[in-house]
Amino acid sequence: MRGRVLPIRLRRAESARSRRDARRGVPPTRNPTLDTRHGCLMIRTEKLVKTFPAPTGEPKRAVNEVSFEVRAGEVYGLLGPNGAGKTTTLRMISGLLRPTAGRVFIQDRDVTDEPEQVKQQIGYLTANTGLYVRLSVSEFLHYFATLYGMDRAQARQRIGALAERLRLTDFMELRCGALSTGQRQRTNIARALLADPPILVLDEPTLGLDVLSNRIMLEFIRTQAEAGRAILLSTHALDEIEAMCRRIGLIHNGRMIAEGTLDELRRLSGRERLSDVFLELVGAHEPVFAD
Amino acid sequence: MSRYSRINTIWRKELIDILRDRRTIFAMVLVPIILYPALMLGSLQALEAQHSQFLADRYEIIVPSEAAGKWLRRVLDTDAVRRPLPEEVEGGTLSESDSPQDVARAAQTRPAGAEPPLRREAPLIEEGRGTRGAAGPRAAVRGAPPEYRITVRESYPHALFHGLRAALREGLRGGMSDAGADEAAGVLAGTIWRNAWIADYAGPLLAGTVHVGVIVEGDAAALSGGGNVAVRVVMDQTEIRSSIATEGLLGVLDRMNERLVEARMRRANIERSYLHPLHVESLSVATPEKVGGSVLGQIVPLILIIMTITGAIYPAIDLTAGERERGTLETLMVAPVATVELIAGKFIVVTMVSLISAGLNLASIGGTIWLGGLGKLLTRGQEVVIPLSALPWVLLALVPLAVMFGAVLLAVCSFARSFKEAQNYVMPVMVAAMIPAVVGILPGTRLEGPLLVMPVANIVVLTRELFVGRFDPTAIVWVIASTSLYAGAAVAVAAKLFGQEAVLFADSGSVRTIFQRRYFTPRRVPTAASAMLVLGLVFPLNFFIQRALGESPLFHQRVEYLYALWAVFLLLFVGVPIFAAKYMRVTERTALRVGGASPLAWGAALCLGLSTWVLAPAWLAYQQSFMQIPPDQLHALEVATAWLQDIPLWLIVLVLAVTAGVCEEVFFRGYVLSGLRPAIGPVAAILVVALAFGVYHNSAHRLILTSGLGLMLGLLALRSGSIWPSVLVHVLHNGLTITASRSDGLKPWLAQSGWTDADGMPVPGLLMAAGVLTMVGLGLCLALREPARVGEDRIVATAGVRSASPA
Repeated sequence: MRGRVLPIRLRRAESARSRRDARRGVPPTRNPTLDTRHGCLMIRTEKLVKTFPAPTGEPKRAVNEVSFEVRAGEVYGLLGPNGAGKTTTLRMISGLLRPTAGRVFIQDRDVTDEPEQVKQQIGYLTANTGLYVRLSVSEFLHYFATLYGMDRAQARQRIGALAERLRLTDFMELRCGALSTGQRQRTNIARALLADPPILVLDEPTLGLDVLSNRIMLEFIRTQAEAGRAILLSTHALDEIEAMCRRIGLIHNGRMIAEGTLDELRRLSGRERLSDVFLELVGAHEPVFAD
Repeated sequence: MSRYSRINTIWRKELIDILRDRRTIFAMVLVPIILYPALMLGSLQALEAQHSQFLADRYEIIVPSEAAGKWLRRVLDTDAVRRPLPEEVEGGTLSESDSPQDVARAAQTRPAGAEPPLRREAPLIEEGRGTRGAAGPRAAVRGAPPEYRITVRESYPHALFHGLRAALREGLRGGMSDAGADEAAGVLAGTIWRNAWIADYAGPLLAGTVHVGVIVEGDAAALSGGGNVAVRVVMDQTEIRSSIATEGLLGVLDRMNERLVEARMRRANIERSYLHPLHVESLSVATPEKVGGSVLGQIVPLILIIMTITGAIYPAIDLTAGERERGTLETLMVAPVATVELIAGKFIVVTMVSLISAGLNLASIGGTIWLGGLGKLLTRGQEVVIPLSALPWVLLALVPLAVMFGAVLLAVCSFARSFKEAQNYVMPVMVAAMIPAVVGILPGTRLEGPLLVMPVANIVVLTRELFVGRFDPTAIVWVIASTSLYAGAAVAVAAKLFGQEAVLFADSGSVRTIFQRRYFTPRRVPTAASAMLVLGLVFPLNFFIQRALGESPLFHQRVEYLYALWAVFLLLFVGVPIFAAKYMRVTERTALRVGGASPLAWGAALCLGLSTWVLAPAWLAYQQSFMQIPPDQLHALEVATAWLQDIPLWLIVLVLAVTAGVCEEVFFRGYVLSGLRPAIGPVAAILVVALAFGVYHNSAHRLILTSGLGLMLGLLALRSGSIWPSVLVHVLHNGLTITASRSDGLKPWLAQSGWTDADGMPVPGLLMAAGVLTMVGLGLCLALREPARVGEDRIVATAGVRSASPA
């Protein structure tokens, strides 16, 4: 956590320099300040707000002052009903959307100030992330490797290693359009791991997957956490949360309404099953159909 | 990884991606390579096949009597160009010895000393030469008539006509002289008779069983004796067979006429030239290259424009809506790539595919013409050379067009969520592009005036001019520059739109949020984009309206012109910004800078307003030493402004000084400057607005002067935080310039009191004073401090939300 103890002024100067470097085409040094030891603070959001224009002229707040932290080696689950603001939060963290207010830090780097450097540190994956159907798996991975700033030799080495580990070698030269769902998913995982990111952001990673693909994904998440990566995932599948996540953030209507380990949440709500905990905290534990 | 190498990576990947799509290859490569040869050679062959088919066919003629049929048969059989049948070569059946064979025979047997037979120099009646297109086979058939079969149709026996005439004569005799009744009865009976036959022929002609009906009036036997016969050919002009049969028959009859004329001339001992007192002939100086170019220029530019746009359509849709539909856009956006790099890469590929498509089309057209002799078909046998050397230049002229359409299509397609939706959006673009393209293709359109800057149309006309080898460098610069400008604007809009979160992620808000007023957050100053949009809208509008006013007879050099100008000023320069501000929820007061100003600012304004009008003519005179105005332009300017001398001074001052001053300040130093100031900083904003102000005045030799004035006005408006001081400068400058040049204004007084010399130029003393005053004014401007902006540009009602707009 070297970065955090830097005086504020120095840190600003540093980020200004890296922005200047980016403009001049100086390649960003990979993980220059990132400390990836187990338990280190990796993601920190500070009162994150995202508003979308609404017909009333008064913008609608999709995410409202959400703050939480994710550490290396832990799986953090964002739990919430549809439309709670999970995807928007994850997109802001990954630099896809610009926060209306509040800040996202990847260790000490502000996502808004250095989106490209931060994207380098994050592997982002969703269940329905698309592939370029007219490129082969190898071309697809090489394309992204180049975008992540690797030279040819580095890319070949990295992709070779990933292909070995994720068992892609049999279909490396196949067009992505011809892959099965499982193969497509493994290709996408390889893409997310290309830059060896210390952080993985997974948006509903098991949505719509069959049992087999689901197992691949869950296994993948577990191994990555064990390898020391910080994993932030959003889901509304309660059993996954129960099985995987060390800590859980409960999002409802854009607000973080509760946060903690499963046990803490149980104590807080006085319920035993996670689904009951969820309903209790969301405040919807009344019968839907009153007799 | 540098920005450029990332863009490089992106466009190369996109190109591979798009080239692997069969649909691209089909549209880009296969269509041009196969279409033109197939289309052009195919249609050529079809035309030839049809032609020979038409010639081989036998056509049906109906005649009203046995005698007419026999006469017509004889005319047809003795036609000079008809292949004679073996039995006819021997026993000539012609009574008048005037078929070519007979003439030749007569020449051999002519006694010595007799006059030689007439030589056929040129036909008396031109044989449909020079006609083009669909008339082709019809025209050709004149010189090569087909076979005819003659059927006699005896609906009305000839006796009926005589009976009718006799009855009419009887009826008319009571009211007029015998001779008069005779003549009237003849005319009436003839008309009735003719119409009866036409009605009678209509049935079989419309049914298509007969191709031509012939009515012969008069005695054919009397022809050799000098009599006249009227031959009427009844046909159906909508039937190609009927038309062809008619053309062939008319050719035969024309030649018959020719033979009769020649025979009569010979009998009367008249030289052929006697019938042609005037020898008329048109001679063209066009080289074969130019003829070829002009032929090519009629249709090829339109094809090229269509193909350039169509070439861009598919990749534009695939790389935006297609990418979103496949879910790869999000994948791409999480990679460390900036949006602007993405759009740049995509844009390069769209433009490239569009240009490759245009190039292949051009090559294919060139190749087809070169190999297939298409030029011959188009020009109907004239000697042409296709100017293949023009093709590379044409391709070069298409570059800015491809750039423009690449950007326009990318911007349009960015909104679409799906391929199908994008296709719907593309149609209006296509139609919008076709309208000016068709204007450009109109024959006689020259590359001048407003056409120089009319998008698409100017490229069409330029292409045409390049084909005929007319290179006007100034026009080319105008066309390329204006198209590049549009292309740049389109690229800017595309980049701006593509970066919008609502466009990137369909679920993070509808694209409506970009356009609909109710989604807008209230602001104090307009966004730079809306300022540029308003500038881009008002500029060409003003150009076209003022030009139209100047040329319309209602306003040309009339006092109404000033009234109209007054309205245009208010509408465009005040109305449009106010509407834009209202629509985009911008506070008008801050957007147009109509707040008050400090006394210091008013002092600066007074100094500048009272001095610049002296310096302006001096500068223009000095400018003459290094940048001469062409004398014809100067003269045109004098003529154009001379009429103003008869207009009352107060009206001119009201419109050209007060209204122009207020309106132009509201627009330039108000809306546009306010919008640009936060985005590009004070210096750049003043410079851009000053340059726009200079260009807006639409006069090359005043550009430096007006831009310089624009700099002062911008500085004053920005530093004072209000437009009113700059309004004062503007009104004073314009007003004093006008009154100083009028004999009913200050001109006599200035001359009398010695401020100006004999030419109306300010004397050195006045110049010095004005220079000092301007310096003082500028000094005061610099002494002013730009008022700190109150709060943020965006008005945010809820506390705690950080404004997204950069300070």
